[in-house]
Amino acid sequence: MASGSEEGGTGIQIDEYESLISTTDVELLKRAWRHEKAAPEILQYEGALVQRIREQIQLMVETVEEFAESGIDPLTVSLYEMDLDRTQFLLRSYLRIRLHKIEKYMIHILKTDLWNRLSEQEQKFAKRCTDDLGKHLEQSVLSRLPDGYKSLLKQSTASEEDDMVSEPQLDTFVICKSKRDLGTFQLDDSGGVPVELLAGNLNILRYKSIKPLVESGQIDLV
Amino acid sequence: MYGREARQLVKELSSGENGQLKAFNSDMVDQVTKACSVHHLELQSLIRKIQEEGLDTQTTRNADHFGALIHHLALIRNKRCLMAYVYNRADSIRNLRWKVGNVLPQEIKGKLSHPEQEYFKNHDTALNLYMSALDLDLTVDFVPPKDPYIQVRVIDDIGEVFLSDKKTNLVCHSIHFLKRNDAEQYISQGLMEELMG
Repeated sequence: MASGSEEGGTGIQIDEYESLISTTDVELLKRAWRHEKAAPEILQYEGALVQRIREQIQLMVETVEEFAESGIDPLTVSLYEMDLDRTQFLLRSYLRIRLHKIEKYMIHILKTDLWNRLSEQEQKFAKRCTDDLGKHLEQSVLSRLPDGYKSLLKQSTASEEDDMVSEPQLDTFVICKSKRDLGTFQLDDSGGVPVELLAGNLNILRYKSIKPLVESGQIDLV
Repeated sequence: MYGREARQLVKELSSGENGQLKAFNSDMVDQVTKACSVHHLELQSLIRKIQEEGLDTQTTRNADHFGALIHHLALIRNKRCLMAYVYNRADSIRNLRWKVGNVLPQEIKGKLSHPEQEYFKNHDTALNLYMSALDLDLTVDFVPPKDPYIQVRVIDDIGEVFLSDKKTNLVCHSIHFLKRNDAEQYISQGLMEELMG
């Protein structure tokens, strides 16, 4: 009995610890980073989070410097440095993945409402990128083609839609896990079997079908 | 056969080893653009012929119409191939900025066409503007860090430099224990190599 209640006690502690840990900014950044890495399209920019993380990094840099000057145990200092490096890696990697997506789908992003998901600086970057690429393609190919075939966005003037723009593949598969039971979901219009999304279950699903759940934060991509 | 040269261009893209650029095939690009103009002329003359016969170009479905259609489709296909060629090369060029830094090695530079070199520079500027607006260098820290310090061997004479914590003389073949952030720029430029335990 005694041992049983003890186990129960630590169990609760671990739960509390986990829920506490999962709300720290670093953990939130890790989550944003994982999502950005797994999702085929660009997600909403986590501006406030990035801002907080950068302030924390600044604070950590100062702490490490202070420690180094005051002659605290080098091991402690190096542990702090390691933590700092990891956070910086996460932040850089997060921003980098976003830039790669912008580079890849810039024209598509520029003409859809994905545009609003970028930060102000990213928007400037995307704008410049598109101008540069447009100029380059114009110079290398488009200006040398016959009239009616010079468009960057359309194959020819006969096309009704922009059919030369590369778009992210939204029906690619992603691995996802939900924190709570989300009930059953009809994944596509083809009338397939509905999938039950249970807490903690790993599912491999098409991104397109769970897109709203990702955007509302109900499901995690891993 | 229509479109054979254009196909060659696209094949050239996929035959290169992952991300490795081949020399810009301007001969082939010229040939394909010329083929496009020829198709366009043929297309126009066929349409003129239809008009001269007093038929409606929208509804006529005779041999001339389908001939014109073939030329139109061949032209579009050529355009797609040309665009794919230049676009995918531009993609590799952007990746170069991440991989080798803002200075292109001579052997890669020789493989780029003039507009491509210009594009590399422009893209570099765009990226630099973004990074300086953010006040954060994104070209370091490519692998998740295990240890803040790494052991490196210098493979080219770098000379005396200021690293974040001290002044160091980086002589060729010397081995150093450096902060990962400091070392990464030299590693990507090929001036240093990491020594794995």
